[in-house]
Amino acid sequence: MWIHPKEILIPPAFWVDEMRSKYFVLQKRRGHGESRSFTSLLVNTLDSVWDTKPPPYRILHQTPKSEVYYEIAIGLTQEEIVKDWEWLAENLFKVLNEMESEEEITNFTICKIQSLNAQNNQDESDESANFKVSASKFQTLFEMPKEERLVNTYACTYVKNKIPNQGNLYISLNHICFYSYMLGSETKRVIRFAELEDIKRHGQIIYLKTVNNMHYNFTLLKDVKEAYGLIEQLNKMAIQQLIQDPDSPIVDHDASVFQRFGRKASNKPGLLRDLTARQKSEEYRNYFRLPQTEIIDGQIKANIWTPYAKRYVGGNIYLSRNFFCFRSDVIDLVSLVIPMRNIKSVEQKNDGPHRYDNQIVLLTAENVHFVFAQIVDREVLVEKISELLSQFHVPISRERAKYDISWSKQSALMNSFKTNLSAEMLKIQEQKLSRWESHFRDFGRGISMFRTTDVINLIVEGIPDKLRQEIWLLFSGAIHEKDMNPGLYEDLVEKAACIKHSSTHDEIDRDLHRSLPEHAAFQHADGIGALRRVLQAYALRNPQVGYCQAMNIVSSVFLLFCDEDNAFWLLASLCENLLPDYYKDKVVGAQIDQSVLNELVETYLPELHSHLDQLGIIRMISLSWLLTIFISVIRYESALHIIDCFFYDGAKIIFVVSLQILEWNCEKLLKCNDDGEAMEVLSRYLDGIYNPEYRLPPQSDKQKPETQPIQTLIHEAYTNFGAKISQQKIEELRNKHRRLTIRQFDIDNENTIVKFHADNMYFDREELHLLLTIIREEKSTPRKVLQQKAHSALGGESPILLPTTATGRSAGYAENNCSRSESYSVDFDTFRALFHELTPWRNCVSIDLAEKLFRLTDKKSTGSIEFSQIINALGLVCSHKYTEKLKLLYILHLPPLLSKAEIEHVRRPKSKAKEDAEEAIEAEDFFGDDPSESIEALPSPTDNNFDEDDYALITATKHLHSLAGLSQPSSSTAGAINGERSSTFYVDLPRQHGTPMDVARSQNGASGSTSDLIDNGLRHQGRFESTDTFSDISDLGAVKVTPPQLNVETISNFSQISDLIMATRVERTDSTTDTKSLGSLRYLLDQPDDGNAPNKNIPNMKKANFQFLWRSLMEIIGEQDEDMRKAYENLLELGNNNMKKEISLDSFTQLNLGNGDEPDSNGNPTTPSVESNATTRLFQAYEEELKQNSSTGGTGSSSNSSTDVDSWEISINQFIATVLAVTSIVQCFYMKTPIKENIERMQKNRRKCVITNY
Amino acid sequence: MATRKKSLLKVIILGDSSVGKTSLMNQYINKRFSNQYKATIGADFCTKEVIADDRVVTMQIWDTAGQERFQSLGVAFYRGADCCVLVYDVTSPNSFKNLDSWRDEFLIQASPRDPDHFPFVVLGNKVDMDNRQVSTRRAQQWCQSKNDMPYFETSAKDGTNVELAFQTIARNALAQEAEVELYNEFPDQIRLNTDRNNRNGNSDNCQC
Repeated sequence: MWIHPKEILIPPAFWVDEMRSKYFVLQKRRGHGESRSFTSLLVNTLDSVWDTKPPPYRILHQTPKSEVYYEIAIGLTQEEIVKDWEWLAENLFKVLNEMESEEEITNFTICKIQSLNAQNNQDESDESANFKVSASKFQTLFEMPKEERLVNTYACTYVKNKIPNQGNLYISLNHICFYSYMLGSETKRVIRFAELEDIKRHGQIIYLKTVNNMHYNFTLLKDVKEAYGLIEQLNKMAIQQLIQDPDSPIVDHDASVFQRFGRKASNKPGLLRDLTARQKSEEYRNYFRLPQTEIIDGQIKANIWTPYAKRYVGGNIYLSRNFFCFRSDVIDLVSLVIPMRNIKSVEQKNDGPHRYDNQIVLLTAENVHFVFAQIVDREVLVEKISELLSQFHVPISRERAKYDISWSKQSALMNSFKTNLSAEMLKIQEQKLSRWESHFRDFGRGISMFRTTDVINLIVEGIPDKLRQEIWLLFSGAIHEKDMNPGLYEDLVEKAACIKHSSTHDEIDRDLHRSLPEHAAFQHADGIGALRRVLQAYALRNPQVGYCQAMNIVSSVFLLFCDEDNAFWLLASLCENLLPDYYKDKVVGAQIDQSVLNELVETYLPELHSHLDQLGIIRMISLSWLLTIFISVIRYESALHIIDCFFYDGAKIIFVVSLQILEWNCEKLLKCNDDGEAMEVLSRYLDGIYNPEYRLPPQSDKQKPETQPIQTLIHEAYTNFGAKISQQKIEELRNKHRRLTIRQFDIDNENTIVKFHADNMYFDREELHLLLTIIREEKSTPRKVLQQKAHSALGGESPILLPTTATGRSAGYAENNCSRSESYSVDFDTFRALFHELTPWRNCVSIDLAEKLFRLTDKKSTGSIEFSQIINALGLVCSHKYTEKLKLLYILHLPPLLSKAEIEHVRRPKSKAKEDAEEAIEAEDFFGDDPSESIEALPSPTDNNFDEDDYALITATKHLHSLAGLSQPSSSTAGAINGERSSTFYVDLPRQHGTPMDVARSQNGASGSTSDLIDNGLRHQGRFESTDTFSDISDLGAVKVTPPQLNVETISNFSQISDLIMATRVERTDSTTDTKSLGSLRYLLDQPDDGNAPNKNIPNMKKANFQFLWRSLMEIIGEQDEDMRKAYENLLELGNNNMKKEISLDSFTQLNLGNGDEPDSNGNPTTPSVESNATTRLFQAYEEELKQNSSTGGTGSSSNSSTDVDSWEISINQFIATVLAVTSIVQCFYMKTPIKENIERMQKNRRKCVITNY
Repeated sequence: MATRKKSLLKVIILGDSSVGKTSLMNQYINKRFSNQYKATIGADFCTKEVIADDRVVTMQIWDTAGQERFQSLGVAFYRGADCCVLVYDVTSPNSFKNLDSWRDEFLIQASPRDPDHFPFVVLGNKVDMDNRQVSTRRAQQWCQSKNDMPYFETSAKDGTNVELAFQTIARNALAQEAEVELYNEFPDQIRLNTDRNNRNGNSDNCQC
């Protein structure tokens, strides 16, 4: 890319010239690419130690006489830089040659490059070149996908084993990565934000601890504060994302939200700026209680004229799209919120005293003036405000669908269900009201009132009933949401009323009469109806929360004092802002705040804490305090005072009141010996809290003893703890405990799963824990999730996989347990990674055993397998049960797992590209002495360019083949195939053959009615049909001769393929085909303890499959010794024998018994003793025959030999028995895999970013 | 039998939301029925002195929240329970179906030493209502299939069988106590705040 030309004086010692022209030189940085010379090591080290981050390529401009170089372009790849170079060659070389003076040349070049640079920068992002270099380095070093965006880099020192490594910290949205390069030794660390358990900063050192107990120390000499803040923020975002959507725990950033009007002031990377803005906006919103969508746009120093105090107060003006806010420098002295829609005019004014010049006057719709002074950039501010005003759209009520629902909005219930207050109490209400009114006169009323400390005093006294609605809406910020979404509530109510049979509605209905039953309003249909509408509407607005018990209790109190729609918006602000995540699944937000409260008690009441902690009581009592803001534990007329404060002060009031309650009862609590006693002490106290200003007629005959007036409690709470606990402190503690709580969920969950699976036969508890950990980590690797996202965005799907449908609410225990371990079920990619990292069968490269095992395990073809299945699958492979393992290996090489199409596909590329000499030799080695039996001899399938992994396409191909074979029986070739196959299969086959073919049949069945008919016909004849294309692997000629015109015809209609894929998939889910076909093979995994199960359900194996099986065996063991070779030959011979004899169950037994010297459970033989020479000869003869067939086209005439090839097969017992006689195989399979070490190694590799491709 | 005699019985009441757990507890303790209970948030608690097997014991009854999202929080209360009361609503088949889940969840979370013989008592509540939907037979069958748990049909409203049920609860809890003196406290709970790895000084823990 072109850059702004800059002069370079240092001779380019670290650079190598790649290309040169008269005026330009293209250079490469040393240390890039392969060269391992000392200089390149040095340069790399220097680049790593100094924070230079030079690009790998650059173009310099220099005139022969000048000593000055101009760097005019840089490139991250050679391609990129060569493109620039070519542009120069095309456009400049000639022109420059025509120029006369060198000065002119330089000027012209620089000018040209500058204009290019300017042009490019208009449409490209505004990132600096340096940052682009870092970003590309980050992606290559840590193999991060493009979607994982770098935020910033920091030079830092990482101390490892007491040796400092100087390098760079790369902070991206989901990772902290470290890279250093010291004279040839690389150090890489990758840490996910979501796995951080502790983040601390001491001076220049940032200390991190992960959930795996890994500790990291990074020392930053500069920007340590920024880096620390960034880590905190990104960690918070990661954890919140986990709460929000555990299935995709990836933080993403939507930059469009942060499109700001303002100029870009800093040269920081864009994402970092956005994140900073995000952080600031959050603080801004929280302070002024603004809607979640507000993004802060600017901040400017100003003084505000406070008419009530007759003086100016210094502070800052904040602007966002919909609001103009002011906050004093002195904390809580005064603040102001003016919605843009209320601003009538902004004027500059200059008639004030000189010290307060630069004034502006804001006029609101209510004709109230606000004067601000000493604004430095007054013009900019005014311009900005008018810009915002011009862009402001008044929210209008949306056009609503009409519903056939009649309802009317319920006004505040206290109006229709009056409480009988005594004259004295009414007088108190009146007095309060007049105090508030005088406050309004001084400070203004409505949204834009001056919010000062004076108002707190009024609120603590208790808001008079008549004003509650207004004040609650105002201070909670609910008013803004309401104003911005006119008509939304009505719409939700009507939509919700149309929903029938919803479990959420059932839950709501059950609780309607259990909300505030003591109040007359909720013994009446009006109150109940309003409560139902509010709760149902909210469940519809926020499906993630739906309905949680406790919401009914708070809503009913809101409804007493507020109109129904206002109550709704109060509930919304409660769930979304004031009590974050409280009512979500597992009431996670409340649990986090319980931990916060616990820590606060520990800090401020240490003695009591240690006692209560022993009783384990804080968690028991505090849940209802938090979730219902005390309404469920303190009589509502008293709890109202706490709610008054709550809307002003947020969750802080809950914490201070809780602390006060505990402190008040400290002595009694210290005397308690068990949790029950302590519970009683507290509930007796809480029951007795009363409100002397609001005494209701006694509910029951028994008057409960009064303990304390609510006013005293609140007052004391504020006095004792109010100053100690700031909002900021609460936020900090919440961040900490959010991490810990989520972690504790994982631990609890894992413990339960481990308990549940404790008596599995493969792993002990510790191994299970490790396995769960690694699954969790693998699943949340952003790399993977992002790839999946990208994948699904393209519309593609992973092989085999059907999207897992979200499971409904768990009803029974089995389901319940499923939902718990659901988060530990894995998809194919994860399974493959686990398989390759953990099992000894990773050595097998020619066949993807992971895929076979996954399909074998994935019974319902859901595309994911559960934890219990993982235990069985991986457990068996890692165990020392050698017989079972060998059986499993055998099964994995049977069709349909190892299908014909796949065999051919695996072979084909090798026959085409012979570049891999080693492979060829191995293949020769493998397939016997006769080179003619090399893979080239095998025919290649029709030229479908399906992807190796895409099983769906393979299936489709199969369908096409079968279509081709079936739908046109008149075609001579197809007929021939049919004929020859039929000849094979009209022989009565042993029973076990039915199973794999059933699959084929039913899959064919999906492809069309023709095949169905034929199938049925065949079935009627009571014979096993032969039309499946993939179970008869050895039918070498078959696929090749599929009539080309048919293929063209079918494939040209490409949509048909996808239809077929769909059909297959649908069928796979709907019917039990897959289950049936693989079912018989699965017994090994299903009944792992039944080691001696008869093998009679396992079909025999064809030759091609067997050859692959043997190859896999060799690869697993690592070599082939003499014994193995002999065993192989024996098996081939056995197969030949089977072929020669008439294939029937009788002949099997005969043959086997004849050869066997040690029959096993099935009466089948073990090691056959056949002379190897004979085998070879026979084999060669057979190969010759085969070769002839294939050379003649393999059609028509070859029906005889084809029959022979088809009937080559060995049984599992033959295989097992033969193989068990080979010591090396038994030894290898007997070895138990150290799963623990493997998992730990895998974790370590992940941390160090050792990347493995499977 | 061991020397230590427990004079405190801890009883946990579990079941779906609004099957009448709180009402049953209050009917038993206060002999009163009210339709003015709030939904239980977290847990509620009552004690009562009872005489069972000629002994005076204090029965601690823990009433829990029934909504599903509170289920995982119940764990804290399960600790040291002597008897678990499973309640369903005879007019709600779902609440009956979910008993399985409640039972298993309790066994897994409380992990009593002898889960097969842990005393459960099943109560089918609201028999005073007309629209009964779960038959006695069905409920009894289920109870028999689960180690023959005692089953009572109760009405918290008119008090039917409540006293009897809780007497059985107390007796079974006492019997349990006689059999198993002390069972497994919460096993393998990993606490986060305690740093289990005693790291030495400032060296980091990476074994690479």
